[in-house]
Amino acid sequence: MKLTVISGAARARSKSNTALILENFCRGYEAEGNQTQTFYLSDRNQWEAARAAFDASDNLLIALPLYVENLPGLLLEFLGTLTPKRTPGAKLAFLVQGGFPEASQLRCCEEYLETLPARLGCIYGGTLIKGNMFFLRLLSDKQQEELRMFETMGKRFAQLGRFDKDEVTLFAAPEYMPETALKVFRGPGKFFQRLVMNAISRKMGGRGNLEARPYKDGE
Amino acid sequence: MRLLIVSTLPEEDPEARQVIGTLRAKAEECRVIMAREIRPCSGCNACWLVTPGICSIRDGYEEILKAYLQYDATVFVCGTALGFAEYRMKNVIDRMLPLVTMLLTVKDGQMRHVMRYKKQLRWGLVYTGEADETYMNRWMERVMVNAGGVCLGAFSASRVQEVPV
Repeated sequence: MKLTVISGAARARSKSNTALILENFCRGYEAEGNQTQTFYLSDRNQWEAARAAFDASDNLLIALPLYVENLPGLLLEFLGTLTPKRTPGAKLAFLVQGGFPEASQLRCCEEYLETLPARLGCIYGGTLIKGNMFFLRLLSDKQQEELRMFETMGKRFAQLGRFDKDEVTLFAAPEYMPETALKVFRGPGKFFQRLVMNAISRKMGGRGNLEARPYKDGE
Repeated sequence: MRLLIVSTLPEEDPEARQVIGTLRAKAEECRVIMAREIRPCSGCNACWLVTPGICSIRDGYEEILKAYLQYDATVFVCGTALGFAEYRMKNVIDRMLPLVTMLLTVKDGQMRHVMRYKKQLRWGLVYTGEADETYMNRWMERVMVNAGGVCLGAFSASRVQEVPV
């Protein structure tokens, strides 16, 4: 079985968390002799080939980072250039990753994605969601081993031919952060995150206060 | 009320003129920004971590960011595609990230970004074309929850008169 994968991330592949997730997911999908072909929309030179692959494939996965509660504008632009399929039977599934840790933050986007395949002439193949993915590129190789969970989900997707909603809910947990974790975050976590964010900022060449207000506040 | 309208519809579109005209008549003062050429957010995180509050893309969006902070309310006006806001408007809304900081806080049991400015945003959406109004409202509500602001609602163009501005 061949899976056509389209990454809707705006970041270049080398810096994309979605791409890192896909590498693991596709490894799992290919484990039992399946094939994948991935297109990256951050490279507009790949759009034409991605469109042709969408037209030719009946087994599709679109992966994306959550952007303001929904699909990134870049991905919407690409989708608007597709011609809906006329022959029934093609399946379209999604993989959505976000920065917030709770799965509940991804549900609004998931709700839209449930309706999208029908508009493109496809059957809905489910959505894999996972939060807490903001720091992926900053993790050490050892920490990145946690990404193997996506390899497992890739294998499972190959077996089932779709994402099972109950399995995804377990995978995406927690739906909400437990109160104990929120308490820690409100207390020492509040200061710890400032230290971490400032360190990351400096590493990226950041200047100034992370809470700077460069424009006049119209309070 | 001082109203900001950000539109991604073609300026000469009769429906856009009607929507903008109706909104304009409801406000004491109104500024309209046509924003059809706003580029997509590149996800570089510079506005959070490198030049806090300033977007690295120079395409005129800075004027919109400043205007959000100066007007009492903002109404976005756009077309739809695939049952959702068309990509030009999603580009505009995706580019709001400089308004929030990288830092997180807890509100109503969920993680939220700490807002960069004290100004409480009041945003609404009017769209032409086909979309599920219930879902569009849910989306705008979610946008405003994470922007610490007030959602004015999402309205199909035929209901523009109901926008609470």
